[in-house]
Amino acid sequence: MVIAIGFEGSANKLGIGIIQDGVVLSNPRHTYITPPGEGFLPRDTAKHHREHALDILQAALQEAKITPEQIDVVCYTKGPGMGAPLISTAVVARTVAQLWKKPIVAVNHCIGHIEMGRLITGAVNPTVLYVSGGNTQVISYSEKRYRIFGETIDIAVGNCLDRFARVLKLSNDPSPGYNIEQLAKKGEKFLELPYAVKGMDVSFSGLLSFIEERAPVLIKKGEYTPADLCMSLQETIFAMLVEITERAMAHCCSQEVLIVGGVGCNKHLQDMMRKMAEERDAVLYATDERFCIDNGAMIAQAGLEMFKCGMTSPLDDTFCTQRYRTDEVLVKWRD
Amino acid sequence: MTDNNIADLNIPFPSKTEADIAYGTLSVDQEPKRGGVKRSLRVEDCILKVHFEAKEIRTLRVSVNSFMDYLLLVLQTIQKFGPPS
Repeated sequence: MVIAIGFEGSANKLGIGIIQDGVVLSNPRHTYITPPGEGFLPRDTAKHHREHALDILQAALQEAKITPEQIDVVCYTKGPGMGAPLISTAVVARTVAQLWKKPIVAVNHCIGHIEMGRLITGAVNPTVLYVSGGNTQVISYSEKRYRIFGETIDIAVGNCLDRFARVLKLSNDPSPGYNIEQLAKKGEKFLELPYAVKGMDVSFSGLLSFIEERAPVLIKKGEYTPADLCMSLQETIFAMLVEITERAMAHCCSQEVLIVGGVGCNKHLQDMMRKMAEERDAVLYATDERFCIDNGAMIAQAGLEMFKCGMTSPLDDTFCTQRYRTDEVLVKWRD
Repeated sequence: MTDNNIADLNIPFPSKTEADIAYGTLSVDQEPKRGGVKRSLRVEDCILKVHFEAKEIRTLRVSVNSFMDYLLLVLQTIQKFGPPS
């Protein structure tokens, strides 16, 4: 029996989760929500994490009904992410690890998403589409690495959605992407947008500038409604993602596709991906907002696997790094 | 003679164990490279001693402020989830 606690705070979500041998005992989370039209800035986000970390930690222990002595390993997000929020979360992890005399595992955030997705869905060796506010990658496992087949060459898909939500002044509660998804259901008239797939990679910044520039005029003239634009944006960017995922699956002869990351709980993206998968006689694996969106349990799960392979870090190596690519990690726990 | 601006903090703890824990947590993160701030930490008995040096007083202030934010978080964490046995 191994119990791991995971600390996640790389973006605007602060999550602390406890996992015992693949069972989630608790996974509380608190999200920093900004007013409509505003994004979250590193300084304020870090302050949010510092203010909520101890209450969330308390909740995680209480819900799991365990005492600190029962914990075997403390896991935290090393990166990638925003510097100050990462450090604020790591500071709490380092301090409790010393207080409770536990080893520390430094976890790559992307690996956390992948391992959590595999645990929850039971997917064995899937082609992974990792889509969130800060990352957009198509990943496939080979020879002890999660290899990046394709990725965004500028902004992440979630960043594109978030920033368009700001143009429309949509609420950031529970998330801008969720509100775009709901509004898009009422969309009827399609606006053609730049479709930018470059080989295995995608680009969203030109598309965003295009729609940011035209949206206010098109809405004012009554040619398109905000719902029409949300629908058009979703259709275009999700089609791009499905295209590169399908190409990666064809390359790897993969019969499984797993969607992880915050944008991954978008039902419409899941529907489009499922359709593609079915046409290839493949299976789609996806999770809901509890595990798709950043959370502490995913860091605990990846950390637990690493801990079992002896991949702990001495205290003075438990720094954070804003850039930390998925393929930098040696995946010792998989064959 | 140096024209650097200097700030020294002496933070007393109830015991050396707690001072060591704070040192362990806070000495890990490096100052941002382009900030031009040099920071060093050490523990003497029950006191955590922090020394800051910077050319610009503005960057010195930013570093000290940010350090205080993290220090407060460490103290609160020890209070709520300690004290060490």
